[in-house]
Amino acid sequence: MRPLNEMREVVIGGVGITKWGFYENAEWYDFGSEAILAALKNAEMEWKDIQAAFCGSVYQGTGSGHQAIKEIGLTGIPIVNVENACSSCASAFRLAYQMVAAEIYDIVLAVGMEKMPRGPIPSTAFRPWELKLGFNVQPANYANIAVQYMKKTGATIEDFSMVTVKNRRHGALNPNARFQKPVTLEEVMNSRLVATPLRLLHCCPLADGAAAFILCSKNKLKSKYKVITVAASTLTSGIYGEGYPPADLIPSLKYPPAMSLTELSAKQAYEVAGCGPADINVVQAYDTMAPAELWDLEELGFCKPGEAPHLLREGVFDLNGKIPVNTDGGLMSRGHPLGATAGGQIYEIVLQLRGQAGPRQVKDAKVGLAHAMGAGPNSAVTILKC
Amino acid sequence: MTKEGKMIIPLTEGLYTLPSSPYEKPQLIGSKCINCEELFFPKKEKRLCIHCQQMTLEEVKLSRQGKIASFTIVLQPPAGGFYHGPVPYAYGYVDLPEGVRVETQFTGDFNALEIGGDVELVIEKLYEDAEGNEFVTYKFKLLKEQE
Repeated sequence: MRPLNEMREVVIGGVGITKWGFYENAEWYDFGSEAILAALKNAEMEWKDIQAAFCGSVYQGTGSGHQAIKEIGLTGIPIVNVENACSSCASAFRLAYQMVAAEIYDIVLAVGMEKMPRGPIPSTAFRPWELKLGFNVQPANYANIAVQYMKKTGATIEDFSMVTVKNRRHGALNPNARFQKPVTLEEVMNSRLVATPLRLLHCCPLADGAAAFILCSKNKLKSKYKVITVAASTLTSGIYGEGYPPADLIPSLKYPPAMSLTELSAKQAYEVAGCGPADINVVQAYDTMAPAELWDLEELGFCKPGEAPHLLREGVFDLNGKIPVNTDGGLMSRGHPLGATAGGQIYEIVLQLRGQAGPRQVKDAKVGLAHAMGAGPNSAVTILKC
Repeated sequence: MTKEGKMIIPLTEGLYTLPSSPYEKPQLIGSKCINCEELFFPKKEKRLCIHCQQMTLEEVKLSRQGKIASFTIVLQPPAGGFYHGPVPYAYGYVDLPEGVRVETQFTGDFNALEIGGDVELVIEKLYEDAEGNEFVTYKFKLLKEQE
């Protein structure tokens, strides 16, 4: 294997996003193509400059990327659809990055888009006998991890609620988020119980939306924005012995893994990027459920196991804290269009590094990290530098 | 099996042994690897061990008692229409002493459940259909609540 950091440098040519929320009168190809056109404009490039396209989505069915690109114009380029659960867009981004790094193409599109099915969504990770026993409730899957985390670290339900409060506070400053209204600790603590100890406001909301990226070699760059380099884009998909209830994985008691899937993907990313957690100025962590942000930050190496609740209370993860986390409001505010979610995270890192994040701008952000998890399981870490 | 003409039907076949006499108690059926000793529940259909990739799995009966690793009380019905049992229900994981974690529903007093609590396997009704047929499943119950 040729090390990625010895390959050609890949930079962000341009980025585009749509407002995330429920689109009743539009399909994924409508707002997906809108995000692609926004990225093209941002890149100051023409559609005919794009040499390949990787399109992330989960529920849109066969040829979903082709449907979106058909709205712009077919040009004979290869279009590859990427379904990798909640990491779909990060996986599409990674493929685009590798194509440019390996000098196969110079300018490649990565897009994530999703119009979520309406109503409850049954997971595909569970076997029929498990569905009959009711094992497929996602908040309940996370509740089983959360109670073990509470027992091990002393974290409380109030700590989990503080994650929602922080992220919704950040989300109030993001005009593209589904929820732009802050919530109080009392509102979270009094919201409907879903699966003990987790309540409705500990769960991220669903949304429709899209995000698009043009990745290119440095010599093809046209826009005059600050140059942002893809320092790492890793993907790890499952590790023997690790328990992950949302993907119906039961831990091995005899052969526990040396490190978790998140730790493995982060380790690989830091190695390729030639930096460590201490060098990261802004983080988009995976807050599909509020408590998950806490153990995610620990596994990404931003603090020791069990320390995240305490640091959260001290304001370390606030916009003006030492390690600002989910500066755009995270999944809690943006909402969760599965195939686009990881794109929302990477988009925010780009804005922060360019200094274009407006009222939620983190001061002097030079290196940012985005982490997407999800069923599969998958863990995708993207590190950008300027 | 019948009870006043009604059927008692296992929700899923092959997860636990069906006792042939009242003196015998049911046990979960798992797989054990004779190469690396890894254990699995439920039993794997293929003989392939997903830990060591050898064709070395054998059927094994698992311990009837274990400790609660985690649990949650679910207050929202699962999606998809596959689940016909009561809501709320308690589900989570039990660690068996030979070294395997089992996903299960819990029965008994949900408020008494605690991590580390000693539990025992029971076979119990999950729901009844319109004709009164009982669909039964394995569950775990706190030992201190067993009669």
